[in-house]
Amino acid sequence: MGQKKRYHPLNILFDFWRLLKNAFFFVLFLFIINYDSSSAWINYGRIIFCLAVVLTVFSIIYKWFTQKYLLDDVSFHMYKGLFNKSERTIPYTKIHNIQRRQTFIHKLFGLASVVFETSMTDTDASIKFGVISQKELNELEARIHQSGSTNHDVVAYEAVPEAEKEEQVICNRTVHFRPTRKDTIKASFTSLSFLVLIPIIVSVSSEIEDIFDIEDKAKTFLMSNINSWWIISLFIVALVIMSVAFGVVRTFLRYGRYEIASDDKTIFISKGILEESTFTISKDKVQAVEVTQSLIKRMLGLAEVKLISAGSVGESEDETNSLYPFLPVQRAYEMLEEVLPDYEVTQKMYLLPGKSLWVRLLRPSWLWIIATIALFFFRPQVFDVKQAWWIISVFLFLIIYIHRILDFINTRYMLNGGFIQFKTGSLQTTMFVSKRKKVIEVEVSRSRLQKQLGLSTINMVNRSKPVHHTMIKDVPELMADAYRTWYIKRTEDIEIEKTSI
Amino acid sequence: MDQQIVTPQQQLSKVVIRVWIIGEIIANFIGLLVLAALFFLDYKFSWPEWAGWIILVVTILSVVGTIWSVFFEPSLKFNSWRYDVNEDFLQLKYGIFIEKHELIPMTKIQSVATNQGPIMRKYGLYSVSITTMASSHKIPALSEKVAIELRSQIAYFAKVKEVE
Repeated sequence: MGQKKRYHPLNILFDFWRLLKNAFFFVLFLFIINYDSSSAWINYGRIIFCLAVVLTVFSIIYKWFTQKYLLDDVSFHMYKGLFNKSERTIPYTKIHNIQRRQTFIHKLFGLASVVFETSMTDTDASIKFGVISQKELNELEARIHQSGSTNHDVVAYEAVPEAEKEEQVICNRTVHFRPTRKDTIKASFTSLSFLVLIPIIVSVSSEIEDIFDIEDKAKTFLMSNINSWWIISLFIVALVIMSVAFGVVRTFLRYGRYEIASDDKTIFISKGILEESTFTISKDKVQAVEVTQSLIKRMLGLAEVKLISAGSVGESEDETNSLYPFLPVQRAYEMLEEVLPDYEVTQKMYLLPGKSLWVRLLRPSWLWIIATIALFFFRPQVFDVKQAWWIISVFLFLIIYIHRILDFINTRYMLNGGFIQFKTGSLQTTMFVSKRKKVIEVEVSRSRLQKQLGLSTINMVNRSKPVHHTMIKDVPELMADAYRTWYIKRTEDIEIEKTSI
Repeated sequence: MDQQIVTPQQQLSKVVIRVWIIGEIIANFIGLLVLAALFFLDYKFSWPEWAGWIILVVTILSVVGTIWSVFFEPSLKFNSWRYDVNEDFLQLKYGIFIEKHELIPMTKIQSVATNQGPIMRKYGLYSVSITTMASSHKIPALSEKVAIELRSQIAYFAKVKEVE
């Protein structure tokens, strides 16, 4: 047990910095663009803006003075408020994942920001430290890991001297993966990040053409044309090289120093060079594993493996729960076994029977019907073609049916002891592996047509944020029955909390 | 596993058919009144021709809908409903066109409540709603005694929490 602590004082500075960033456009609009405007709206806007800034400044300082935290052996205690005091207690066992982030500025001062995510759904679902010293954060994480989710020995933890403890934590870690230069280059091509520059190239080259056209008016028509053609191609080559370099650098900065490591209880995924982030999840808090392959990745034999957590995992761009997104498939499965030894993934999976293809083809496509009706009524003309409406309709029909057929071909399922594997998808395939224990609800449904043919749709729900539904349509009825019986046997897997009996 | 667990057996209270019929009659009557009002306005203010057609189509559809939901749907819905509860799972099975069978572990149930609307009160019925981490479910109509008993039974079983 320690003392109640205030957050790191630099939090104030970081909050001010954020305020400055957010205020930038308002300042630009209110005071610079409309510098000499005397309109009442602008005036009101200025007054409101100033009030808001003053209030925010006060609230930042007020927040720092009134918010405190305390960590004991089993939980976080968060205090806030001056008149209306509140205290929140969050046991370490309720923390589903930890996301540590260091921007360049954080790194300069030896600081970090961290978010501890719980599975709650309200606004207070996460515990955030905008700024915390690295030393304190390491202590904090060690404390949470030590207390663990299972039986922990607090006394032993207290007795170990500080330095030794740090060492222990590091020693136990095994590193499973660090990308080689080859991996990074492959990744930068797969992620197509070099394409980002293409629009710029196009606009720049047309600009150049304009400039040359004007300047070379004096020269002969032919000469100017050759000249500009020559220079343009030179420019294009240079720009292609630049964009490839740009793509590689971008990928290198984001995925360059990837590291997947684990100790016996926890998995650590860190990445980034200028801006570092680390995602930490306890192995028994992994709700499921998702293996995704886009079309390009399938052609190159790469895959992305994601760990599904019940806490939120950050915005889509910065999602941190992914093991390296460009892993060779075989390596991906191997690593899954290394990182999560109690997960069993088998390559042997069942295909759908032929009759489920028929159901899928017979099922009306509402999207197509509605689109066709709309096209029939409005008859838009594309490129002056009068028949465009039915051509579009036919194309849409083909696309929808190709997707259905591909999805039928790609769909696979397997019940493997306490595990379940679903694979679906047409162009991009997704394989979802979960433990029976982690599935929180199942549903089997069948339409009249499916009933006639002896087929069912099976659906499972896993914890995530928001909850994750996984569905396979048109599996044989026998499988659906097996699925239900399989799920009922989950009572054998679960452990009941002692306090609740 | 015991076959009985795999397919639920309990039925809803049979009185519910009448409750549903009454409810549907009231709702559809209001709907038809609105349509009648629209017809009147269409006639009085001579709306464009297509407006009349749309109202006509909607009327035909809602008459068909009324016949379905008053004469056919209630008994079919009643026949399709089954539920069961034991100390490990709550099971629901329902659906006329698409038959659904849901399995909900007791340990994942977060709350259970009984509700009653005015028509239900007249016939002494309650619905039981169950909220889980993933979604919410509803058993539409049980007699008072069964509903209260089921509620406390679920509440008792759901008190057990599993180690996450």
